[in-house]
Amino acid sequence: MKDIYYFTKKELLEVWRTKRLLILLIVFIIFGILSPLMAKLTPEILKSSFGSEIQLTIPEPTSIDSWVQFYKNITQMGIYILVILYSNSVSGEVSRGSLTNLVTKGLNRSAVITSKYLVIAMQGVVAVCLSFSITAAYTAYYFPDNNSPHIVIALVPLLIFILFLSALIVFGSAISSNSFAGLLFTITTIALFYLMNLFENISKFNPISLIGENVSILQGETQLNEQYWAMSISLLATIFLFSAAISVMNKKKL
Amino acid sequence: MEIPEIVLDNLLLFIPLILLEVGLMITALIHVLKHPDYKFGNKLMWILIVVFIQIIGPIVYFVFGRGENE
Repeated sequence: MKDIYYFTKKELLEVWRTKRLLILLIVFIIFGILSPLMAKLTPEILKSSFGSEIQLTIPEPTSIDSWVQFYKNITQMGIYILVILYSNSVSGEVSRGSLTNLVTKGLNRSAVITSKYLVIAMQGVVAVCLSFSITAAYTAYYFPDNNSPHIVIALVPLLIFILFLSALIVFGSAISSNSFAGLLFTITTIALFYLMNLFENISKFNPISLIGENVSILQGETQLNEQYWAMSISLLATIFLFSAAISVMNKKKL
Repeated sequence: MEIPEIVLDNLLLFIPLILLEVGLMITALIHVLKHPDYKFGNKLMWILIVVFIQIIGPIVYFVFGRGENE
């Protein structure tokens, strides 16, 4: 436990010193502001690009548009920024050789993985929540309608996906020897999940479906309990990937 | 230069957005200037990337470009 505490502290210091935490937070804050802005601007952009010759009836943007943009930004860009930033978290440390000393002095190897996982998952969750609150505030201000009643419930699957993704990042980074291999592993796995989602009978269990239905949960069209399977599978996969990362780490030559 | 009406209508959104982008750019620019050893590329290249590619530029620099030495 003590190992985990000290190593987590060291990890936090590292993400602060290397500016990774700062970048992640700034980018997610930008997404938080960008989402309602995009929702507001899209009709204007359409109008100006088609000119006045064609009479277009563009519906007024609603809070739904703002949330559609939010989930699009986070799931199509945000999560990959998390992956890019942390795909070398374990492999970088191993290749720099900075762990050799600590491990020979008695640092538990599983504490390394645990701390890495905790720090990545924590940052992901904080960044998403921050981005979410900003979008929520702007959306409430600019689009005061009742179209999106369940905004908090819709966020739950995304947060669970972040926990799963963090385990995937740590595992990918543990099995690979450099940051690009880890990046490639994580991105390929996500791509495979997307492919698997094409088959309808699998998609119910697929972790990737956790970031596909958020807007419809938000509108109340899908119930959260329809995703219980995907959530349980994701959490199980998280535990599995996490333990696998520890056993890979235990066998790894430092 | 005339500010478009759409920007004036949404100042509450544009001002923080611009501040954050500029802040990110300046943080990266200072780092580029102060730490002249990069994993690859040279100073001019990184200055151009960081200044002209909004958001993505600084991220790419901090993840792939910065040297290991503090």
